[in-house]
Amino acid sequence: MKILVCLKQVPHKDARLEASGGWIDEGGIKFEINQYDTYALEEALRIKDAGEAEVVVATIGPDRTSQALRTALGMGADRAIQIWDDSLSGADSLTIAKLLAAAAKDESFDLVLMGLMSDDANNSLTGPMLAELLGLPHTTGAMKIELSDGKAQVERELEGGSLQVVDLPLPCLITVQTGLNEVRYASLKGIMQAKKKPLDKKGISDLGLDAAAVASKVTVDKLYVPTKGEGAEILEGSAGEVAQQLVGKIKELGLL
Amino acid sequence: MIEWSEEHLAFRDALRRFIDAEIVPNLEELEHGDTPPYDVLRKLYSTFGLTEMQRSRGEAVVAASRKADEARARGEEPARRQRQPGGNVDAMAMQLLLIKELCRFCPGMVTAMGVSTGLTGGALISKGTTAQKERWLTPILTLEKIGAWAITEPGSGSDAFGGMKATACRDGDGYVLNGNKTFITNGPYADTIVFICKLDEGDDTPQRDRRMVSFVLDRGMPGLTQSKPMRKMGLHSSPTGELFLQDVRAGRDRLIGESESAYGRGGAKETFGMERTGVVAMTLGMVERCLELCTAYAKERVQWDKPIGEYQLIQLKLAKMEVARMNLENLLFRQIELAGAGRSPTLAEASAGKLYAAQTCMEVMLEGVQLFGGNGYMAEYQIEQLCRDAKVMQIYAGTDEIQITHIARELLRD
Repeated sequence: MKILVCLKQVPHKDARLEASGGWIDEGGIKFEINQYDTYALEEALRIKDAGEAEVVVATIGPDRTSQALRTALGMGADRAIQIWDDSLSGADSLTIAKLLAAAAKDESFDLVLMGLMSDDANNSLTGPMLAELLGLPHTTGAMKIELSDGKAQVERELEGGSLQVVDLPLPCLITVQTGLNEVRYASLKGIMQAKKKPLDKKGISDLGLDAAAVASKVTVDKLYVPTKGEGAEILEGSAGEVAQQLVGKIKELGLL
Repeated sequence: MIEWSEEHLAFRDALRRFIDAEIVPNLEELEHGDTPPYDVLRKLYSTFGLTEMQRSRGEAVVAASRKADEARARGEEPARRQRQPGGNVDAMAMQLLLIKELCRFCPGMVTAMGVSTGLTGGALISKGTTAQKERWLTPILTLEKIGAWAITEPGSGSDAFGGMKATACRDGDGYVLNGNKTFITNGPYADTIVFICKLDEGDDTPQRDRRMVSFVLDRGMPGLTQSKPMRKMGLHSSPTGELFLQDVRAGRDRLIGESESAYGRGGAKETFGMERTGVVAMTLGMVERCLELCTAYAKERVQWDKPIGEYQLIQLKLAKMEVARMNLENLLFRQIELAGAGRSPTLAEASAGKLYAAQTCMEVMLEGVQLFGGNGYMAEYQIEQLCRDAKVMQIYAGTDEIQITHIARELLRD
């Protein structure tokens, strides 16, 4: 069994973010592994614990992202791939998917796991795009994954709390929801061993691609915190009084 | 060493995750109540594989000790442990990181852990016989058993050696122990206690000049009483207590080193050096946390329509805290480098680091409370706890005044 876990390094949940052009000012803030991806990694490590498996982690990002890969190696992944070129700053989901596909295509992974979305960009696109590029069946938002007889049975979470069960043949790609397992800590011994595990750094040309082939099609114009609009009226008083006033306002506006 | 490595940071981040999940939600019980820290420390040890590492370490110490005995039995000089240059850097860095990270929230927890594994375990490692190591060491290192190291008495703090009243009198094959100890970390809960006292040979040697000996005692021995936790100013996640010994009979197998000259002043002084080194890492954690709390507050707290961080008097406080943080971190990096070079700091060097760290930490915390104003005085904000915890850094492991005498003595030595 050979498993690829794609992970992204995102700003730490407690980082104070300042918008800067199309993105945030990354100076002086801490980063961590995207929370959704930690569940994907944990799921891969559980499969490894239960039998024979090689777990490979891959990310696309600058030097700082090797920290995320070291953590993943410390938790038990076997090797890591880090892909970067300065031209990739602000890359769109398709570019990311193309790079991951190029890194994965000759490896014949039986299973590709990743988070449903990233905590920072919230696109939920990379997984399905990567599956298409690799020609793999895929499903999203897994709450439970069971592997047997060359297939994966996946419980997916739908709106309104219902669950859907789908079967996919291996190899396949699954994006996972948070909470499908309990993510382990990297042990001290694991972290020390991680130092000796391979971490391959690759550029665009190392993947047999050129800059034009992975040029982003989406550009972000602006990132900003919306300013408070005009016309808001704050109702004051006890809960009962506020409710009375609110009903009055709604009737006044002819909304009921 | 000028920066933490990727591995160090990975361990730090994992520790922070654990601390956020397991310690921070229970801070109230740990720091304002009497909840002992041992269960969460054991969970921390097992989560990060430290239990296994400590067990292997204990077993390795016993094996090495046995080998040395065999060499001596053959009339050979036991081989000295070879230290590999650079090999200790990571071990030292990880140990100090653990101390630093815990101290961001619970400095007392580090005291409880350090006294058990470092001081009690350390006394056995350095001076215990092979049989004593086999009997007591590994469970102390893994925190399965809690250790205490008892030197201070109601009448002897800074003058710990000279003023010591506790005695051991020879009695047949063994000894009878008497005396009271106080301010003993882990005292109320300890399973294994290193008890330091004077050997009373029944002659007219003044008590001050009598030879020091140490014993390993077990909880529940007849005549040994362990008090309830004492109330104190801070450091509440470290239980502190008194020990009362009344005619406690201890066989020679409990005499550390099974020799009346094995663990005297030299052994205790070695322990002081270790304690003092640890304080630097502790205060760095506290100062880092204080700086984090203060910078966030300086940005949020608005007075006269401006965040207080825009006022230069507040900026001065923050800048001084950052200078302190950098100095403490550099001191710590030096300790790690020394370990890498296979060296330990001299007692004077350890004292100088501890003196600086303790005084700086106290100054930083007082300024932190001041920066928070009325909120800083309230227990709701963590800075209040850190400030109370800081004071003990200037008192335990040798007061500031004692550190000064140790530094000066070295400077003025002929």
